[in-house]
Amino acid sequence: MKAKLSLRWTVIGCCGLIVTLTTGCARWIELRATADSSQESSVRVIARNEQVPLVVDGVGITRNGSPQNLSLETEQRVLGTLRKTGLFSHLGGTDSAEPPASEKFIRARLLFDEAIDPHAGDAAWKGIVISASMFILTPFIPLEYDYAAHVTLELERWDGQVKRYESQSAGTAHYQLFGTTPLMIDELKGHVTESCLTALMQQMVLDTTFYAASSAPVLDRPIRSVSVNSKRSKLTPVSISTPSGK
Amino acid sequence: MLVYIFLITLMAALSSPIHAADPTPQINVGTQEVGLTAGYMLPHLLKGEKSKTEQSGLALMPSWMMTLTDPISDRWYRGQVSIGAEMVYIQFQEPILTHGVGFSPKIKYTFTAQDRIRPYVEFAGGPFWTDLAGKIPEQSSQFNFFLTAGFGVSYFLTDRAALNAGYRFQHISNAHTSRSNVGLNSSLPFAGFSFYY
Repeated sequence: MKAKLSLRWTVIGCCGLIVTLTTGCARWIELRATADSSQESSVRVIARNEQVPLVVDGVGITRNGSPQNLSLETEQRVLGTLRKTGLFSHLGGTDSAEPPASEKFIRARLLFDEAIDPHAGDAAWKGIVISASMFILTPFIPLEYDYAAHVTLELERWDGQVKRYESQSAGTAHYQLFGTTPLMIDELKGHVTESCLTALMQQMVLDTTFYAASSAPVLDRPIRSVSVNSKRSKLTPVSISTPSGK
Repeated sequence: MLVYIFLITLMAALSSPIHAADPTPQINVGTQEVGLTAGYMLPHLLKGEKSKTEQSGLALMPSWMMTLTDPISDRWYRGQVSIGAEMVYIQFQEPILTHGVGFSPKIKYTFTAQDRIRPYVEFAGGPFWTDLAGKIPEQSSQFNFFLTAGFGVSYFLTDRAALNAGYRFQHISNAHTSRSNVGLNSSLPFAGFSFYY
């Protein structure tokens, strides 16, 4: 009888442990739909002879309002998304040389404004409760991490006309303690960024004709001559005497 | 023997490749830490005449921690919260050669305002079994609890490995689950290392 009881408790204990560990490792990402998100295609291929190159002039990144260092990864990702639109003949990053002014090309400027709310205080309190319960409450106490991005893309045509596109997206990573991993945050950021860039490209392809080579002529930029008057030197001349004979 | 194991593991940690190019620790939400800490327990007789046993011995504490937050605040107390679990093994060498084993959840706040030198405070507590009990007047039952609170400092050798040193105050008692519960109090200076992944 006693052996039967202890076996029952062992089975219940094992089941409890398995449930705790399984549910305690759960994590999922919730992406909030933005007003401008739609299922429209973000690809619009135009004739090769109508395509012009695009050069990224600058990428600005801010996180919770404070400027950040340029991320090469972000730039590469933006270039990759622009490439997919099929609107441009060639894409150059911030480190690539700008084509001569006599050629038709598009200048791109990107501002990436990130907002991160890791719910740090909340996570700390929940951590204390989870610790105090000897991790038994792990499956019942979810943790959250919010990430939002607002992307602004400015495209300047060779004739100086500028088109501005904006998109925003937000998401939350819900996770249990044992499911926490830095990869989860990267996944969340990846999804939100992708959503933003897709929305931008959908807006951009609506202006396909604007970026076609035949849409505008190259501005006539004659070489201007600028006369510069040199400032009269206020230094008094110093007479140099050289020894005779030399 | 335990000292040798500790020293060998420490040497292995020190001989791991150092990423000199970027030694700044990259510890974010979800970064996990495994560590091994060793110390020597020194007694405190805090209960006057009731405290008689001057227990001392080696303590070994493997631990696992999970970083729960990105750095909080931009002021001097800027830091991160992590929680985890710790095993405690104590080899009581005085008054009698006996052993103790415990398991406890642990919470740690690491100050991150400094770059590679990061002070921290920690707290842990959980069940503790020891065969010292019953052989001393202070504790009668082998099942006890231990509580520990302390502070330390981590020095990051690389962005993923750190040396730790610090001090803990440790209390062992049975929470009045049996008679005779004077408790054992001790200081525990310690040193160890951690890996982050």
